[in-house]
Amino acid sequence: MSLQDFRAMMERCSNCSYCKWIPFDKMKSQRFAENCPSSSYYNFNTYSARGRFQLAQTLMDGRCDYSDTVTEVIHSCMACGLCDVSCKVCRYNLEPLEHNIELKVSAVEKGKILPEQKVIIDNLKKQMTMLPGKTKVKRLDWMKDLDLKDILKDKCDIAFFPGCKYSYDENLQNVCRSVIDIFKKAGVIVGTLGKSDNCCAGRALQMGFREEYTKAATANIKALEKSGVKTLVTPCSDCYHTFKRQYAKLGLKIQVLHTVEYLNTLIKEGKLKLTKEVPLTVTYHDPCHLGRLGEEYIPWEGKEKKILNQVHTWEPRRPRYNGAYGIYDAPREIIQSIPGVKLVEMERIREYSWCCGAGGGCSETYHEFASWTANERVTEANSTGADALVTACPWCESSFSNAVDENGKKIKVMDIIELVQQAI
Amino acid sequence: MGNKKNELTKIVGSSNVFDDPAILENYSKDSSFCSPMIPRLLVKVNNVNEVQKIVKWANKTNTPLIPVSSGPPHYKGDTVASVPEAVIIDLSGMKKIISINCQHRICIVEPGVTYGELQKALAKEGLTLSTSMAPRATKSVITSILEAEPRLNGLSQWEFFDPLRCMEVVWGDGNRMFTGEAAQGPLDLEKQWASQKWQVAGNGPFSTDFFRMLTMSQGTMGIVAWASLKCEILPTIHKMFFVPAQRPEQLNDFVRRVVRLRFSDELMVVNGFYLASLLGENAKEVKQLKAELPAWVALVGILGRKLLPEERLESQQLDIADIAQQFGLRMTPSLPGISGEKVLNKLINPSDEKCWKETAKGAFEDIFFLTTLDKTTMFIHMAHMMAEKAGYPASDIGVYIQPKHRGSCYHLEFNLPYNPDCTKSTQTAKDFFKKASKEFSDMGAYFSRPYGIWSRLQLNKDAQSTMILKDLKGIFDPNNIMNPGKLAV
Amino acid sequence: MALDKEKYQAFEDIVGKRNISQDPGVLETYRCIAQQSSAHYGPYVDHMTPLPQAVILPGSTEEVQNIIKLCNKYKIQFKASTTFWSAMGFIGSDYAVQIDMRRMKYLEIDEKNQMAIIEPHAIGAVVQAEAMKVGLNLNVPGVGCSSSVLASTSGWVGFGPSSYFMGCAGENLLGAEWVLPDGRIMRTGSLGAGAGWFCGEGPGPSARGIARGFAGSAGTMGICCRLAIRLHPWPGPANFPTEGTIPAYRAVLPDNFKTYTLCFPSWDAYAQAFNLFFENQDILYLGHRQFNMFGRDAKGAMVNILTDPDKQFCDLPELMKDPYIKKQTELMKIDIQVVIAGMTKRNMEYKEKAIDKILELTGGWKNEMMLKPEIVNWVLMYLLRLGHKNLNYTFCGAYEGNYGMSPNHFVTAPLMEEASEIKDKWAKKYTSIADTGGDSDMGSISIIGGGGATGWEFFVNFDAYDKDSIKGTKEFIDSTQEWMFKKGLGVDMGRWNADLRKSDGKNYSQEEHDAMYIKMPQPMFLTYNWKIRNVFNPNNLTGSYYRTLTPEKLKTD
Repeated sequence: MSLQDFRAMMERCSNCSYCKWIPFDKMKSQRFAENCPSSSYYNFNTYSARGRFQLAQTLMDGRCDYSDTVTEVIHSCMACGLCDVSCKVCRYNLEPLEHNIELKVSAVEKGKILPEQKVIIDNLKKQMTMLPGKTKVKRLDWMKDLDLKDILKDKCDIAFFPGCKYSYDENLQNVCRSVIDIFKKAGVIVGTLGKSDNCCAGRALQMGFREEYTKAATANIKALEKSGVKTLVTPCSDCYHTFKRQYAKLGLKIQVLHTVEYLNTLIKEGKLKLTKEVPLTVTYHDPCHLGRLGEEYIPWEGKEKKILNQVHTWEPRRPRYNGAYGIYDAPREIIQSIPGVKLVEMERIREYSWCCGAGGGCSETYHEFASWTANERVTEANSTGADALVTACPWCESSFSNAVDENGKKIKVMDIIELVQQAI
Repeated sequence: MGNKKNELTKIVGSSNVFDDPAILENYSKDSSFCSPMIPRLLVKVNNVNEVQKIVKWANKTNTPLIPVSSGPPHYKGDTVASVPEAVIIDLSGMKKIISINCQHRICIVEPGVTYGELQKALAKEGLTLSTSMAPRATKSVITSILEAEPRLNGLSQWEFFDPLRCMEVVWGDGNRMFTGEAAQGPLDLEKQWASQKWQVAGNGPFSTDFFRMLTMSQGTMGIVAWASLKCEILPTIHKMFFVPAQRPEQLNDFVRRVVRLRFSDELMVVNGFYLASLLGENAKEVKQLKAELPAWVALVGILGRKLLPEERLESQQLDIADIAQQFGLRMTPSLPGISGEKVLNKLINPSDEKCWKETAKGAFEDIFFLTTLDKTTMFIHMAHMMAEKAGYPASDIGVYIQPKHRGSCYHLEFNLPYNPDCTKSTQTAKDFFKKASKEFSDMGAYFSRPYGIWSRLQLNKDAQSTMILKDLKGIFDPNNIMNPGKLAV
Repeated sequence: MALDKEKYQAFEDIVGKRNISQDPGVLETYRCIAQQSSAHYGPYVDHMTPLPQAVILPGSTEEVQNIIKLCNKYKIQFKASTTFWSAMGFIGSDYAVQIDMRRMKYLEIDEKNQMAIIEPHAIGAVVQAEAMKVGLNLNVPGVGCSSSVLASTSGWVGFGPSSYFMGCAGENLLGAEWVLPDGRIMRTGSLGAGAGWFCGEGPGPSARGIARGFAGSAGTMGICCRLAIRLHPWPGPANFPTEGTIPAYRAVLPDNFKTYTLCFPSWDAYAQAFNLFFENQDILYLGHRQFNMFGRDAKGAMVNILTDPDKQFCDLPELMKDPYIKKQTELMKIDIQVVIAGMTKRNMEYKEKAIDKILELTGGWKNEMMLKPEIVNWVLMYLLRLGHKNLNYTFCGAYEGNYGMSPNHFVTAPLMEEASEIKDKWAKKYTSIADTGGDSDMGSISIIGGGGATGWEFFVNFDAYDKDSIKGTKEFIDSTQEWMFKKGLGVDMGRWNADLRKSDGKNYSQEEHDAMYIKMPQPMFLTYNWKIRNVFNPNNLTGSYYRTLTPEKLKTD
């Protein structure tokens, strides 16, 4: 794909502003009605999906250039995909998220990047992680003493892929260890990629560094194929999306599961029993990349075909990604199977969940904006009266752990795995 | 003067120009407390061409014009000149009911047409027009509507000025045009009808609501030659019910709920004295009724038209009765000795030439303004408190609360009867009127129709709005010939 | 052309650095690409409105006032918009700034007095969501719930499916706070008197008349910053109960809500039914011929696509051939969707009976397919929230409304078949517009509260990415305009704004307006507009969406 391939969308976008709001049918209040962190924070139309279509068109037509402002606008998209969901309530021929990312790719190709991004990508290239300051040699420290198999050496059906955040973040490493512990209790044996365990690079793609992403992804796919594993399980929603949706485009054919899906199956099969009471009222945050962006990739090759003179369709039928079939029920079923836990929902949930602020690499590049985005979510979480905000992604967890609501109040942030661990 | 008379005679003929002091004396004052001033001439007009010629003449001669459409007596001071040398332009002779279109429920009338005349003509076509409460026999329908007198079916007013739609106007500068959708067609009604345009939409044309320059303007902007009005289907069944209460606040929740659910056709709250004044044929009867009637009562009219009339009436009657019960009240079809039919007939039909409010004591003054329902009780308490202080008998104050514009706002009216033959009674009423008006204004009463002293009270609150109003007046009446001195502009 | 440093700084001093931009990339996203949306004057190929000199985002009335004063000082044109629907919200000159009102989003619901006080960025959906919490609702005009309620109420026509029951936007306007183009603040009615927001009229003549007529002044009479609207009963749940899989959301509402697709054997019967609803104006909660916008032949199939999360437009041809859908589609050839809402059980029963009676009197029927629970729940959600405006564009990415005809249904109904045939023939012959069966008329049962004036609009779907389609659509609307003139029906809806913005996206000059408007049957009223503008907009800073005629052009004796 290139930006030019989106030209028709740019011209067919009708400036309806749906990309700035959660689906209208789902709106319950003014306070939690907006959907796009960047257009909500920066306010200018330019920051919305509509604005980005128009900006791209303008750039292609040479009516403006990549000023610092333009570059900042382009990279401020969290790639959370909620504009995409809202747009597709009505539109069947626009792909705002794909376009937003392509716009970034196009900027990156022209060298229009943010200084912080350079540091991140350099680290990806050198240390195989997008966490600045982290090194390859320390990547496997979290699993010391766990005696995990190396799937490239030992036969193992299931690959466990923790992702950079769980691997390096000292506050989150325990969560990762808990997963292994829970699996063991359920009799599940998993292995890791060992020394070949590297960053999935999904965030590089979200940031527009397609070349770097493709390079990393190709190597990871090769390693996975070499290992012969049938299933990959990851607790990181970002990695989940990358493997399941993006790697699939590059040919990865193994089954990809998020930990919540796997745990939910174990609970349903009776292999994992949650018996201990956890007296908590919790609210669940759907990570973008597990929820609306967690839909399975369906290969498609085809072209646009007009019927009834001018009505756009595709031949053959083109798969439609609009968040309809993301992973929403598994985490909720897990939470509801824990004795004593009461789940209360926020207003923006499931396919129209508000982003945590970490998407698109923005937590590393736009600190204030990312914090504001997380604070917004914590405000929403606190409005439910919940004791804790539970999520299933380390990036979300990390974003929320330092966030405060509009009254300066924090909320206890929990990984769903912690909650499960407490119930065993 | 002689020259002016001659010139006017050239326009309308000698039989329509009057300078007889006895006749002019009648126009020098009205029943309100406004200051009297004798006009120079009275001219009666018969058509819009005459109106336009007179307005153009007035511009040339810098002669103030006071348009009057209703027959006497008058009560609000708006038809009494505020400046010398004024010419009264009497439109009461323009009495044509120009058209009645049943399909679109639109009638077009001239300013001299009264309620009695119009309702009779409409009834023949199976239509009726919403009305203000028992309008006096000589009241001009157009004036009553232009001046936004409260209408009994305020809950059917989608637009604040319903049933007003299009108009023909001669502006203060002498130009003549149609308003609303009618302005987009030729300046000829028959040609418009020929192309199936029936003056239905009153707004506009386009981005300017010209009709709003004329409403509540007391004749300061221009003269209306005809207006199209939205009619209703004549009911086949129509009943009036009562919800009595001891205190006004007891009725607030009831009214609010009925308004909320969009029930009833007529809905208003009055106190016992107000209702007694309406029903009593003479002072004695008013006094007697006052003693017998409940202190407060909500009047609820429900009707049925051609489609399922009984079902509609019954369904609403039961639902509204349920609402009354919900608030500890009871809806009844009659009051002791008084049937719903009697009250309904009094309410919707024209009264005598003299206003029925004179029955109790011979004269009256009203204080009325707009507010919200929740604030009505506060004003009522204040009225009683102030009456006591002023020595005005609080029990004589009639109160009328009428939802307007679908219940967005409420017309709150205090009727202050007094004996015009008694100086003390008159003076007390006058003092009370002035003090209470000022106090209410300070409390947030909105005098949307700023007659007499209310204009300064109201317009002084917002200098910017007054300036804007002056600018508007300058556009449509650049030489300030239309009823100058009114509205404090 | 960018503002010079001094001017830019002066504006920046008002709103702060964060809320102003003159970056070319940002400015470009404030141009209307008018071939994409219904601008009512084209469509033209590669048509864009001018590039603003700056985009400014004020946060309060005071800031708006200061901006306007500065615009007057520097003689810079300005135009405010919030949700930027259609071309009218965009500037029309190279020497103009665009005001984006989205930072002003105040919303207060006064439950007791049934009103909402709103700023520009309170869109229909959020006002409705907040109002429903206390049992109230608002008229969401045809533009849909994504648009600024204040904009519809102050700036444009503002009627839609609910206007029959709730009145159109202008009818619901109460007090308003308005910065006039000369920088003065106009507070209308009770607001100016410090008495609250409940009334927008008077004292004396209503000054709001200069800024809001049948249509609003499309941002040409200054900037409305805050206003109050009348709210109406919502006898439903506090939250809109939406469920189902995206995009086939649906709302399961209590039994006191029903929706029917009422069908009629002839256009005459259709007009009679409209009149019966007009005569009995408390039956419907909402009335709109909605799904016919997809076309007479395609609407049944489209309803089936939109209520199934797994269907797409490629399923359209097959569904259109499906015998059941085909039959049902034929049965709703002449149709309207209605919603009734019972305030009580009795009230509901009465309304149900009334509907049946009207069908009996007109020989009409309820469409069977549209009674399927999944379709009923989708229709209820669709019509009550009106959150699917963008389905207008879904076929091809662009549409224009045309014909419009007369609000008098006794005039329009007999012409429907002729108009449909013209469109059908054009689509088949030239292929520039979507071919969905000729009749693609949709619209509100009333553009005035209580009924009596009907909104009609044919949907012409075309491809904004296809130059031939754009050109062909323009030619089609030119031809229907000719037909409209021949029939004495006036201006085609697709040309409603043709006198307000030129084909190059720029303002008309006064000379050009004079040449056009002198030909009107009663040009007089436009000379008053000229005088109003002269007084309240002395520097003529708001563009040509305000119609004026130089008084000297009109010879009077």
